[in-house]
Amino acid sequence: MVSSQPVRNIARRGRCAMLLAPAGSLDAATEAFQAGADAVYVGLKGWSRGGARGELDRNGLRQCMQLARVTRKQVQLAINTIPKPPERRGLLQGLVELADSGLRAVIVNDIGLLRDVSRELPSLSVTVSIGAGALNLDDVRFYQDLGASAVVLPGYVEPQEIAAIKTKTVIAIEVMLHMVEEFIQLGKCWIPSYLHFAAAERRRTECLSGSVKRGGVGACFRICQRPWTVLKDGRKVDCRLLPSRQISRVAELGEYLDAGVDVIKIQGRSLSAELVGAVTRVYRSALDAQTRGRAVIRTAPALPPMWTVQGR
Amino acid sequence: MKTFELNTTISNLQSLRESDLCTYDAVYLGNIYCRSFQENFLERLNDLKDGIAYVKDLGLRAYATSYGAPRNDALPKVQKALEAAVEAGADAIEVHNLGVLRMLHEQFPGTPAHIGGFANVYTDAGASALKDYGAVRFTPNYEISLEEINAIADTARLPAEILVHGKMPLGISDYCFLLEYEHKWEEKCPTLCQKCLLLKQGDWAMRSVGKGVLSGKDVCMLEHLRALVNAGHTVFRIEAAYESAAYRRDIGKIYRSALERAFAGDGRVDEANWDSIRQHTEIALCNGFYFGRTGGEYIGNVHEPAAVCRA
Repeated sequence: MVSSQPVRNIARRGRCAMLLAPAGSLDAATEAFQAGADAVYVGLKGWSRGGARGELDRNGLRQCMQLARVTRKQVQLAINTIPKPPERRGLLQGLVELADSGLRAVIVNDIGLLRDVSRELPSLSVTVSIGAGALNLDDVRFYQDLGASAVVLPGYVEPQEIAAIKTKTVIAIEVMLHMVEEFIQLGKCWIPSYLHFAAAERRRTECLSGSVKRGGVGACFRICQRPWTVLKDGRKVDCRLLPSRQISRVAELGEYLDAGVDVIKIQGRSLSAELVGAVTRVYRSALDAQTRGRAVIRTAPALPPMWTVQGR
Repeated sequence: MKTFELNTTISNLQSLRESDLCTYDAVYLGNIYCRSFQENFLERLNDLKDGIAYVKDLGLRAYATSYGAPRNDALPKVQKALEAAVEAGADAIEVHNLGVLRMLHEQFPGTPAHIGGFANVYTDAGASALKDYGAVRFTPNYEISLEEINAIADTARLPAEILVHGKMPLGISDYCFLLEYEHKWEEKCPTLCQKCLLLKQGDWAMRSVGKGVLSGKDVCMLEHLRALVNAGHTVFRIEAAYESAAYRRDIGKIYRSALERAFAGDGRVDEANWDSIRQHTEIALCNGFYFGRTGGEYIGNVHEPAAVCRA
């Protein structure tokens, strides 16, 4: 279900925020930039949440960075899985090489990795992933203390909450305004791997157990999107899907900008290049209207249900 | 003989007073999932102070827990709860949310912090970072193996708290979908989530507690205590926030006795214990992720399922 509320006809003071689009492929990055994204976030093969869908290999990453340079845009690299201790050194070394090639920003999920990257690669801007579960003012302050440059908050955090956070912190606030609001908080769910280990079973000796955030091993089987029987005191009382909804708060963009949001983020490295372009264009158009402070009277576009990240 | 700590969780004063805690060394007070949980210690701060005093009068350590996923509007109450707990002499505060950890460290410096499972400690680097914020112990994220836990504890030099029995947390939510059933079931919050509410899909089962999901099976490490002891672990939890006083009493008694034997070098399990465990098991037993398998699997000599869900 997506928002289709009319945008209120009020004068906006000019507000500026970066538009950050997902790019699971070089084609998607190209589409995103052409559609008006200021930056894209990409995953590096083996190191990003979500696995093989939506990851670039090193060559693809370099091409994406080159594309960004040419178009004067930015690339953020999602390394938002949690490396095993023996892997950490190799990952940090890999980041050194990528930084030498022009990488300027990474997204991380683990506090240990955040601290390591902040200390050893101060030239890199570090964003705390939505999977780290930041929800409140003190969460943001915590990550600010640890050296993060930005924190991603989920799109169900309200503008007034963000305004309160912005008054007391200096790091950038990103809000994922186009996302699936899952039944369980992102980053705090290990239901799939409690139940099933399909991905790990194929290469059991090589893999760590666990959820998607463990990287390429566990997978989100979207267990919550299959029917569950509800039993109360042993008796069946219902059969249902667990709550989950696509949210897309483009109609409330002005309120988020007024609250001081620095980056509007779109979820969906698994979206096709075409859909990335389409969603990005909607947000670009809305953002430009807000930034110019134009009073707008229109119904915010109802994004088709297919423009979702259900398939991610 | 090395000493160990066996602890459990209790959400409110009534449950605390109903519980026989003679086999425990410590109690965590409060419900981490929901502000509306019936008479939650974390909302009724006079109860929290009374609860801490009650536990300490029993000669046990009293810990206060804190919310797993608080939004901004909960922070003032969280701050007051920390204040009440510290004032009442709580021996430590359990924190699952890193913002709350920061609040504790900044406003109540020197108060020991026990890092909870939802804080997502997966690595030694993560654990070490939290030591700088007053962490003196950590519950590892539930999905990591014993091998990894041991490595984190050794490298970070931070004791791990090990869930040895009870339903393992699988997730936490900002939304209680059980509220959708208030009319249909004529059951209201706050009693809704205290019913036995299971979610089943084929052979899989989970327990819903409204804003949280727990494993349907009970983690049971009774057959593996000697391995935990050999690895150097000394802190063990019976997860019982949503269980009966009888569960807490009976399971606590079994593990007290078994741990004493394990620390004395005897890893054998008294077979008589399984009947009691079965009586308190709704679905079956599992070992969580400790052995690098799916969380619902069980490794050991106990093969037959426990009480079968009637659905």
